[in-house]
Parts: sequence; structure tokens; C-alpha cells
Amino acid sequence: MHKEEIIEFLQKVVEKPDWKVREWKEQEKGKAVGFLLTDVPEELIHAAGFFPYGISGGRARMEFADAHLQSWTCSFVRSSLSLALEGKLDFLDGLIIPQTCDTTRNVSGIWQHANPLPFLQEYRLPRQVDRPSARNYLIYELNRLKEELEKFSGRKITEEKIKESIALYNDNRNLLARLFVLHEQNPAAISNRELYTIIEAALLMPVEILNKYLNGLIEALENEEAAPKSKIRLFISGTLLEPLEILDFIDENGGLVVGDDLKNGSRYIDAQVQTNDDPLAALADRQLKRIPGAFYDPPHNPRRHFLVKTARDKKVQGVIFLHLRNCEPENYDFYDNMQALEESGIPAIRIETEFVTAPSGQIRTRVEAFLEMIGGEGNV
Amino acid sequence: MFKRVPFKTAGLMKKLMGEYYEKGARSQKEGIPVAWMTAVSPVEIIYAAGLFPYYPENFGALAGARKIADKLSLSAEAKGYSHDLCAYARCGIGDAYATEHPVGKIVEPNIIFACNTQCGTLPKWFEVASRFYDVPYFLLDSPLVGGEPEEACRDYFLQQLKEMIAYLEEVTGRPFDYDRLREVLHLSNEACRLWNEVLDTAARKPAPFGFFDASFHMAPIVTWRGTQEAVTYYRELKKEVDERDKAGIYAIPEEHFKVYFDHIPLWPRLRWFSELFASHHTLVAVSQYTHSWSYSFDLERPLESLAANYLEEFVNRSFDYRVQLKLNFIEKYGCDGFVFFSNRSCKSTGLGLYDKRNIVAEKTGLPGVVFEADMSDERFFSEEQVLGRLEPFFEQLKSAAR
Repeated sequence: MHKEEIIEFLQKVVEKPDWKVREWKEQEKGKAVGFLLTDVPEELIHAAGFFPYGISGGRARMEFADAHLQSWTCSFVRSSLSLALEGKLDFLDGLIIPQTCDTTRNVSGIWQHANPLPFLQEYRLPRQVDRPSARNYLIYELNRLKEELEKFSGRKITEEKIKESIALYNDNRNLLARLFVLHEQNPAAISNRELYTIIEAALLMPVEILNKYLNGLIEALENEEAAPKSKIRLFISGTLLEPLEILDFIDENGGLVVGDDLKNGSRYIDAQVQTNDDPLAALADRQLKRIPGAFYDPPHNPRRHFLVKTARDKKVQGVIFLHLRNCEPENYDFYDNMQALEESGIPAIRIETEFVTAPSGQIRTRVEAFLEMIGGEGNV
Repeated sequence: MFKRVPFKTAGLMKKLMGEYYEKGARSQKEGIPVAWMTAVSPVEIIYAAGLFPYYPENFGALAGARKIADKLSLSAEAKGYSHDLCAYARCGIGDAYATEHPVGKIVEPNIIFACNTQCGTLPKWFEVASRFYDVPYFLLDSPLVGGEPEEACRDYFLQQLKEMIAYLEEVTGRPFDYDRLREVLHLSNEACRLWNEVLDTAARKPAPFGFFDASFHMAPIVTWRGTQEAVTYYRELKKEVDERDKAGIYAIPEEHFKVYFDHIPLWPRLRWFSELFASHHTLVAVSQYTHSWSYSFDLERPLESLAANYLEEFVNRSFDYRVQLKLNFIEKYGCDGFVFFSNRSCKSTGLGLYDKRNIVAEKTGLPGVVFEADMSDERFFSEEQVLGRLEPFFEQLKSAAR
């Protein structure tokens, strides 16, 4: 398959987010278990024989959520619930909500009343991560989740099965990470928008099929001749990459995203799961060593050091904080993160977004102005 | 407006709270570490370790009551902290950066403890504070109690209490005194028992005490819990409430209705609300909030029971559990309706109130209403909107009685 065909196919998956899951359910006569992004062990859902489906919000009709969630609730959760109430997630048989903030912690009860599902589980991540008690508890919680999945499927999840799923997802993470490298090396071959669209597609389709496409894509990209072109090197920091259109603005203005800490970006693929250990302990260890995030972090905020270090290592010229309005954890750490970058002489801007409508012209203008400021004409 | 007969105990409260803040200021001079605490966290361990516990949430409530939360918040907002964050946190962070301190300066910490039983916002605020004041921070993590309490979660909390005690031994340089802990727990038990006896008098008809009284008299159960002072205070208060009851001094004149209220009072509008409800002969009798301090510790198993009490506080329970708790209060206090305050500062109590309103109304057949506002920041308070919600509710109460 040609590169263009593969990318086009993956774009279509994102445009029709229920396409692959409905097809799979039809073919396999199986059940789909959704999850809110993204700190959920997909490997366990997969090992239980379910289709893991990542709900990444969307341009939903928010009035559906209005009766249940106040206007000050983050638009990611509001739009996800709206999609469910609109019937656009009616293929889901279950849902796992990772508790990463007060909203995700409280929405499960609301969801279950507004849109009852046969299987709804909270994934209660530990909030402290640097004392020994955290790991023991996390292993307990993973085991509890596994048992709940077993009850729902009526089948035991063997250790063998989890290890197979881990191997598949490790492959997937490796392939996606390889794409990031190729994107950085040869931005002309795969744009910012294309790269992150592929991560989005990864949330919506069977990993086995995706891995085949990714192998094909990587082979095509590796054979493509590099067209060296100087680009303005950027890092995007935030919870979720929304709106995707911001990547078009970056593409059009000579920007190259060389790193991010987003849940539907690098955070999705960051750390690998060890395969020689007890699989649940290995899943816990991956969770504990993921890149720092505001909702899941030791108190000294290693994220700011991570931002500065990554920016330096990757020769980043500017950082874009892409913040979802009403995302509390992110907001609490913003000032410190901004300070750390300022002290290191790394330019940064903050753009606040919401899952409501198509992005405003204001976002485009701000991206353009920022790129112009940090890149200057010579670089583009 | 009705004429209030002031509580004699209010004088004692003034003295006690004065002493509390004085003690905070003195502690640092005397080399006693000031430990910041979240309201729902095991202060008993802090008292037993000989530290002075300070509650920054109180500072936020005070700033709210004195109507300056918005001004303090601006200092935080100037740094990029959004006005959508919790007002208590904005007051605390704002005070750190502010040049003016109209309600006094927050007592600076030497060490910070947070527990996320209440919410995830307090830990984030306290993390910010630990970096700003450059002091150590310790989090007690409380996973949500989804259904029945799980042994493994209690054990997780217990392990963390042990980690906390080991940490305190390191900080103080002395071994932790478990005998002292048992004494403190006994004093907490006593204060909580007496506090709940006072709260329960709101079920009498007419009642000598209600939610707005409780909002005033709750400061010692938060700040002095674990000391003899709190026990003495609530013993005096209980005595006075009973005397007032005998003398026919009631919380409101001509009580016709009792209602259940969720959750935190609107501090800058406490008087306004109490007069509004009184003018409709409606006693706000009970709230989950003031009942938060209902701990009961087993002195034979001090750490285990600390774990159970602080992990399983209502705000850390499931949607259904919290609905049931409201139903229980409504029944126990004989409520005729319910009012839910959707507090934009408090996601963990505000979220779900619209669905809960429907469920509680369906199960009880009682009138109920939800209104939007903020507990401390008056920029998010619209008298017109709140009255637009509450006046039809009062009408419903009256027509239901007919």
C-alpha cells in the first residue's frame, strides 16, 4: 500500500470514529469497552477479549450534557457524555473511567444514571506516586479491574493472554514512536496533522490491524528521500490535543512539533511494559514511570523540569501550552511550568481551548504570531 | 428581619479562635512546626506529634465571609490561576502574592499535609504552596470508596498513615507517642459526639438550632478537634442550646418548614440566606457539610480506625451512597424539602447535583431545587438568579403543606 493510501485510510477512521468498532463487533460478535483518555491499561481490556475504544470527546451537541453537568465542567467530559446521550456511543457495552481529577472522579455515577451501561468501572489511580504504598495499591487496583473484566466477560484472563496483549501494545507503542522519529527527521514526508491523526486513529481501531498499517507506513516513509527543510521546532504541553486543526496552523506556518506531553500524543505511547515480570506488576510499573502530568505527579512538579530538559534536548524554539478550559490540575501547575521555561529562556504561549466548536480565527492568529516571533523569517 | 438572641457561647468562640490564631503565630517563634492540614484529614496524628495544625481552608472561608475573596483572588489570577479554580485555593495562592492582607496573612507552613478525601483540588493547591514556601509536602491518598469499603483500600490508607508517622518522627526527631494519640482520639470522639448532639437538636419542632447556627459554631470542631478546648466548647454549647430550647428561644421565629441543604454555606451571604429562609418560616435544619465532623475512633485500634474514618468520609463515597445519605438526613430531621447549592468552587460536591435532585425528588416526593453560586467569591453570586430559584421553591413548600 502506498503511503497516501494508508494515511487516507487512517484519516477516514478518525472522521468516522465508530466505523471500525461497529465492523469489529459485527465480525467478532464481541463487546466494546470504552475508556476516557488515556491512563487506562488497554492491555487488560484487550486480554479480556473486548474492543478497547478510546473516547476522545468531540464536537458534540453539548445541550445533551447540560441537564447533568454544570457549565463549569471541562468540555472533554461534557462532550464525551453528550456523545453518549446523543446515541453516538451506542456501540459501547462498557466503560472504564480513569480517575485523574475531581470531574472524572465524580462523573461515573452521573454517567451510570444518565446513560446506563452493563459494565462501568472506575480505575482509581493512586494520587501519590513516590512512596512504596503507591505501587502495592496500584497492583491491587489493576487486579480488581481484571477481576471485574472477567466477571463481565465470563472468562478468566490468563497471564498468558495478558502477556500477549502487552506484546501487541508494546509493538504498537514502538511503531508509533518510530513515526514520531521519522516525522522529526523528515517533516515533509509526514505532517504534524497527519502524525497526530494517526494517534487518534489508534484509539479507535483494533491494534492488530493498526500495527499492520503502521508497518507499511513506516516502510514507505523510510524509503522516502529526506527533503531537508528548516522548521520551527515546537513542543505542545497540555492534557488533550484539541482542536486538531491547530496542527494545520502549525503546518502552514513552518512549525514542526518535535515533542508533547498530551494524553492523545506522546503520553499515549511513552513508556513500555516489561514482559518478563508478573504482568500486573509490569503494568503498574509502566503507569508509575510515565512522563509527568499535572493529575498524577509527585509534589515537586517534575513536569517543569521535564519540559525544560526536553525542550533543550530537542532544540525546541517554543512551547505551546494547549490548555482545556476548566482543566484544574493543568491550571494549578501552569504558573510554575511557565516560570521554569521563562527562567531557561524558552519562549512559551498558552492557548485555552474547548471541545465546542471549530477553532476560532483567534487561535490561528495567535499561533501565526507566536511562530513568527520565535522563528523569524530566516528559519521558515 | 427577626431579632436574634445572641448565643452566650459566641463569646467563648471569639476567645477560642483568638487563641488559635495567636497560637499559630507563637508556634513558629517557639520552634513548634506549623503543619498545614486539609479539613478532613487525621489532625489527631499532628496533635499527638506535637505540631500546630493550621487549616488554610478556614482562611478562604474567612476571606469569603469578609467579602474580599474576589480581591485576594485577583493576585492569583494575575499569575495565570483561573477564576474557575476553587475560591479557597485562589484566596490562599492570592495571599501568597498579595501585598495587602485585609484579613491578616495566612499562617505560613513549615510542613504541609494534604488528604484527598475531600477533593483533588486541595492537593494541587497545597503542592503549589509547598513550592512557594519551599517546605516539605506529604499526601495521604484516599481512593474513592465505590461501593462497600474494601479492606485493601483501608490497608493502603493504613500503610500511608505509617509512612506519615515515620515521616513525622524524622521531622520532630522523637519517636511517635501512641499513648498521646489515644488521648487525642478520645478528645476527638468526645467533641464529635457533642457536636452531633447539638446538630441533632435541629430535628426538634420547633428547633433551637439550625444549619446557619452550625455554620457559625463549627470553627472549633475543625480547628480544635483533638483538644480539651473543643470538648469544653461543645459541652457549653449543648448546655446553652438545651437552655434556649426550654426558654423558648428558637432558631427562627414560627418554624413552619424544615429543609435539607447541600452543602457548604455561602460565606459572604450567610446572613442574607439565614434571613431569607427565616422570612419564609423555613429552618435550614441539616447539611452533609456540618455533619462531616462525626468521627468515631476505636482507641484499641487507633490507626485502623483513623484509616476507616478519614477514607470513608461521605465526600469520598459513590454517587448512590451520597444520595442515600441525603435521604437519611431528610428523613431523620423530618425535612419538608431540600435545597442543593451547586458550588462552582467545589467540583466534588457540586457535580451530580442535578441528577441527585431528580432522584431525591422522585424518592421523597418533596420539593427540591438546585441553584448556582460560589461559596466565597461574590463575583459568581447573582441575587436575582438565586431568588429566581428559591422563591418558587418556597411557594412549593407552602402549597405542599396546604
